[in-house]
Amino acid sequence: MDNFVSGFQDAFQLIIDLDPEFFEIVRLSMVVSLTATFLAAIVAIPFGTWLGIKEFPGKRFLVRIIYTLMSMPPVVIGLVLFLLFLRNGPLGEFRLNFTATAMIIAQFVLVTPIITGVVFNGTKDRGPDIQDLARTMGSSPTQTVWLLIKELRINILSAVVTGYGRAMSEVGAVMVVGGNIKGHTRIMTTTIAMLRNMGEYSLAIATGIVLLLISFLINSLLYHWQQER
Amino acid sequence: MNITIDSLTKRYNNKSVLDIPEMIFDEGCLWGILGPNGSGKTTLVRIVAGLLDSCSGSVLYQGDEYSDSIKKAMTLVFQRPYLIRSTVYENIAYPLRIRGVSEQEILARVNELIESFNIQSIRDQKAWTLSGGEAQKVALARAIVFKPRILILDEPTSNIDPESIMLLEEKILDYYRKEKPTILMVTHNIQQAKRLCNRIAFMNEGQIIDSGVPAEIFGSGAMPKIKEFIKKGLI
Ligand SMILES: Nc1ncnc2c1ncn2[C@@H]1O[C@H](COP(=O)(O)OP(=O)(O)OP(=O)(O)O)[C@@H](O)[C@H]1O
Ligand SMILES: [Mg+2]
Repeated sequence: MDNFVSGFQDAFQLIIDLDPEFFEIVRLSMVVSLTATFLAAIVAIPFGTWLGIKEFPGKRFLVRIIYTLMSMPPVVIGLVLFLLFLRNGPLGEFRLNFTATAMIIAQFVLVTPIITGVVFNGTKDRGPDIQDLARTMGSSPTQTVWLLIKELRINILSAVVTGYGRAMSEVGAVMVVGGNIKGHTRIMTTTIAMLRNMGEYSLAIATGIVLLLISFLINSLLYHWQQER
Repeated sequence: MNITIDSLTKRYNNKSVLDIPEMIFDEGCLWGILGPNGSGKTTLVRIVAGLLDSCSGSVLYQGDEYSDSIKKAMTLVFQRPYLIRSTVYENIAYPLRIRGVSEQEILARVNELIESFNIQSIRDQKAWTLSGGEAQKVALARAIVFKPRILILDEPTSNIDPESIMLLEEKILDYYRKEKPTILMVTHNIQQAKRLCNRIAFMNEGQIIDSGVPAEIFGSGAMPKIKEFIKKGLI
């Protein structure tokens, strides 16, 4: 129990002190996850929407693949990317291993299927009705796409927040490709894993508490938007 | 606009659900489309409204193929209408918004309709909190607010209380008398068809087995099959 109590104390201390090393870790965590989620959203929102309203041969198979990718273990994603990024690997020339860019790529690969899957599920239920409405109202193709996005906005927002939450809380993939290098690729989850190995339990808990706090803030925002409409 | 159908067929999994060699829905008539469950009424009106792409044959609107300008001049009200996630007012305003009508005119026209449909009390209510009957009224108001030349209604008054049925029927007739559009109305209620429609198309097993003025279709010279349906209470 002591670890939890001192963990709370340490968490407060870290925030009050504005500890520069700690804030760098928080900043990098957020930058990496936000960038990865943003890029994933750009791909996954149109793709998931398209998948939800179009019928084509092989669609069921594609959907099953996406569902499988949604639950792919992050450490496997990390390992595959790590091997691709090795100096003599197929993408070795870009020297990506142990960089923040590699971590963004890893989280992007992790999150894209998740956002796609959630957007797809929402669109497949209501998309065809929305399209039919648009047509009977005389909407142009652009107006139809706009209507789809507006009508499904809460689902899209949930998808993005879910993806962001997954990116922020993930440790396996970023650890493998990033390496938890101090001041370079160290983020909150890899810090927690490292502190645990060092036996610094209360500092590990403190970091965990800050991580939870950020997640709480983001989900409160989402909840607020959901209530509004 | 009249609607001309030529050798129209629609199949689902190799089962023919619609087969209409030829049919003309005359301009400016209020058509009642009747027939038992599964006879293809919804399939037919969805094709006419341009909502089903995978069918063979042709549908012409005053001689022209389906196009953007036809799309803008035609609408269909579903039995369970989809209302957008906003207020009643915004739902009725939507077709005007996408047509670039000025905010001032939208306000005037939508408010006028809300009053004539007697739904002032739900003007600012969120659409997903409406009852089924209220949603039907909003959907009809939203359909006629932009004055379509072809108005298609798929069972506009099913599951609705008698008072609201009277109101909806009155609004359909008002619009019909004022604008003289072509109206196709799917209904199971033969009394309603007699009250409102001046033309009837009777469907069975994917075909229009008879069409014309109500007196002929339902009169003493009615087709045996239609008499049978009326007697059995199948419609
Ligand atoms: N998506 C679909 N897939 C397979 N069969 C379909 C599909 N949609 C309709 N059908 C079939 O087509 C036939 C005609 O259906 P339709 O909905 O047009 O009938 P309807 O006359 O409107 O019936 P109701 O009075 O019950 O509304 C039915 O046999 C129905 O099972
Ligand atoms: Mg039907």
